[in-house]
Amino acid sequence: MTSARRLPQLPGLLPFLVPALLTGGGVALPLLYLLLRALEADPQTLRDILLRPKNLELVRNTLSLLLGVLAGTTLLALPLAFLTTRTDLKGKRLFSILLTLPLAIPGYVGAYVILSATGPGGILPLPRLEGYWGALLILSLITYPYLFLGLRAAFLGLDPSQEEAARTLGMGPWRAFLRAAFPQLLPALLSGYLVVGLHVLGDFGTVSLLRYETFSYAIYLQYSAAFDRVYAAWLALFLLLFTGGLLLLEGALLRHLSLARTGKGSGKRAKPVRLGRFTPWAYLLLLLPVLLALVLPLYALFHLASRFPQENLEGLWEALSHSAMAAIPASLLAVGMALPVAYLAVRYPSPASRFLERLAYLGYAIPPLAFALAWIFFSLKSLPFLYSTLPLLVLVLAFHFLAEGLGPVRGALYQVPRRLEEAARTLGDTPTRAFFRVTFPLLWRGAVAGGALAFIGAVKELPLTLLLAPMGYSTLSTRVFSYTQVAMFAEAAPFALAIALLSAAFVGVLLWSERRF
Amino acid sequence: MQMRRFLTLIGLAALGLASAQPQTLTLYSGRGQSLVDPLVKQFQAETGIRVQVRYGTDAQILAALLEEGSRSPADVFWANTAGALGQAASKGLLRPLGDTLLRQPQAFVPASKAWVPVTVRLRVLAYNPQKLKPEELPASILDLPRFAQEKGLVGRVGWTPTYSSFQDMVAGMIALYGEGRTREWLSAMKALNPKSYASNPAMLDAIRAGEIDLGSTNHYYVVRFRRAGYNLGLHYFKDGDPGNLALVTGAGILKTSKNLVAANRFLTYLLSPKGQQYFAGTVGEYPLVKGVVADAHLLPLEEALGKSPKLDFEKLPLDQALRLLRELGIL
Repeated sequence: MTSARRLPQLPGLLPFLVPALLTGGGVALPLLYLLLRALEADPQTLRDILLRPKNLELVRNTLSLLLGVLAGTTLLALPLAFLTTRTDLKGKRLFSILLTLPLAIPGYVGAYVILSATGPGGILPLPRLEGYWGALLILSLITYPYLFLGLRAAFLGLDPSQEEAARTLGMGPWRAFLRAAFPQLLPALLSGYLVVGLHVLGDFGTVSLLRYETFSYAIYLQYSAAFDRVYAAWLALFLLLFTGGLLLLEGALLRHLSLARTGKGSGKRAKPVRLGRFTPWAYLLLLLPVLLALVLPLYALFHLASRFPQENLEGLWEALSHSAMAAIPASLLAVGMALPVAYLAVRYPSPASRFLERLAYLGYAIPPLAFALAWIFFSLKSLPFLYSTLPLLVLVLAFHFLAEGLGPVRGALYQVPRRLEEAARTLGDTPTRAFFRVTFPLLWRGAVAGGALAFIGAVKELPLTLLLAPMGYSTLSTRVFSYTQVAMFAEAAPFALAIALLSAAFVGVLLWSERRF
Repeated sequence: MQMRRFLTLIGLAALGLASAQPQTLTLYSGRGQSLVDPLVKQFQAETGIRVQVRYGTDAQILAALLEEGSRSPADVFWANTAGALGQAASKGLLRPLGDTLLRQPQAFVPASKAWVPVTVRLRVLAYNPQKLKPEELPASILDLPRFAQEKGLVGRVGWTPTYSSFQDMVAGMIALYGEGRTREWLSAMKALNPKSYASNPAMLDAIRAGEIDLGSTNHYYVVRFRRAGYNLGLHYFKDGDPGNLALVTGAGILKTSKNLVAANRFLTYLLSPKGQQYFAGTVGEYPLVKGVVADAHLLPLEEALGKSPKLDFEKLPLDQALRLLRELGIL
């Protein structure tokens, strides 16, 4: 009976298949074009490109930043996750929320705050931090929450009996933790590392403002300043190799680990660790990232905005509406594409639907500058009427942020009882009709959350917008970037503030929709 | 289908409106919005001609013009660099200008007669006056690496390899001294472990913040920083040195233009005393037309024009410069 129902009936599924395949194509096709474009070069040029001494420098820079940020985020996230789950501190829930908020600060805003607030004449009496250490600090501060959230969940699911067993074998608390508990945290650590790593590889705003040349920054420079598109295409391919390597490595390590893991949780909760005289230090550690990544940037932004020339407010409205005109349709489109992909994956699990879902996530994993370049070549070659238009920007933003919408939509789909849909089907509805009559009304909260995530992502987004926006179409994020690039810090402040406040509002929407699930 | 019909109607309506108002000028500007906007507003107020501006970098606009071809709505191309205008002229995009316009500027009128120079900027050396004295600074930019080594400034020199004026300066060096000597100079600069900045203000801000001590930039950036109350040093090399290269900005009228009268009026306005005064005063660039009140921060015009080497600014070997910068791993 069930197997008969499982069989996808094409006419009914078609409305889902078409958008799902489109989604796959939107991610895969441009990459193919990027490859074609890169291979267009004549052998001599190719040799020059591949043997440039610059490449080695870029590999070195990109790798050292990647490893540095992974180390930095670990140093932050591991103790923070431990303190907010396994200790007797007060206000652990509040701190967990506060410690997640730095996610809302875009990298280029962080870099901007460092540049404008430090050095002689800045509002902070600190020497100017830039280059590698500046990028390391900012990227660690804005990406550690990914790791923190995963580790927090892992700590909460830890089985304390193993640690206790280790203690009975005569180990001290630290050794017992390392030998018994730490291996159980590894999967969370690894998936966190993947997300942080993808962010570092894709980051453009931070490294470009703080002048640290990684692959992403080099792609932008080659494309925008030196008119060397073939080299830019090759750099994008190199970067994709990096990303692919990261994905494969994480997958392989995770598989290897999950074989070695024992069952999770025994229903027993670990006893909270008493911190005693360390309590004040623990609070200080919890406050530090909040101060550095939230309070300080906001203070600096307000301080700078107070020096802002009033007559530029007109430009603020324009940028705001430009951002909205790109981000609203992009987020609607992203959710519209996420629904069929998630639906197929949840209701008709098969290698094909899983593959589609992977593709959708790939659009997010591809470093944005490589993705933008791929779309530029693709549209110039096969969709010239789209090149350098707003619809193209909307489309590519939607493809990129599709993955952000996928999570909440999937979560909601799992919670909709399948039987409701089946009841509708027995009443003679096609799958599509059943979906819209029964499932969708229950899904909308997930769709709102997914849409909100995609929207704010699109508002904050910099590299895609910078490369794909029509000439002269400036949004909040490109305004912050261009003003900051020419050290006009006061002028950039209101635009950066607008982004920060929008992000904050969206976190509100998200918390609201999470609580009601 | 209906949507398409609807859009076509809207398009036709828009066309109708556009043709009903012949007095709308479309300007493609490679120069920044903050600089162009006030001048355009003044022009609109005085002439009643509406101006629509499309902003981008010179390279972006050139690409757009080539892509649009004969369908381009542009009337005027106003560019940051003589090189971009020279390219537009050699590709046959620009219409030759009349002598009334070309007679006005005191220098830099191109052989092609396809565009008119509007202002000129000079490359200069910006430095931290608390760290360095003006009399010890080198007389030629070619001696800058040796000077920096002697003063122990390794790691404390800035430059802007991705910025068009820097690339123009390297091209000027090639035109004057050939590729070999330019390569030597660039290698010697690289040995100083210089810090690359994406823009001149960011580099000058780094001098202000004590990150570096000197860097080659354009003169008006230093002027703006000084006007904002920051104490930055400004050094000219000896007359005719590529370190003082003149950077010519200018404007031309496109062959596709349907508004020749308005376009001519706009170019005339750029060269009028009012326009030139705006550039000298507010922007801090050198005017090219006589009769402008000199700004306290600027040299007298005659003296300024003598600083730069005399080259064909339309035909600087920019491609060669870019190739060299890439070969050395600077770009």
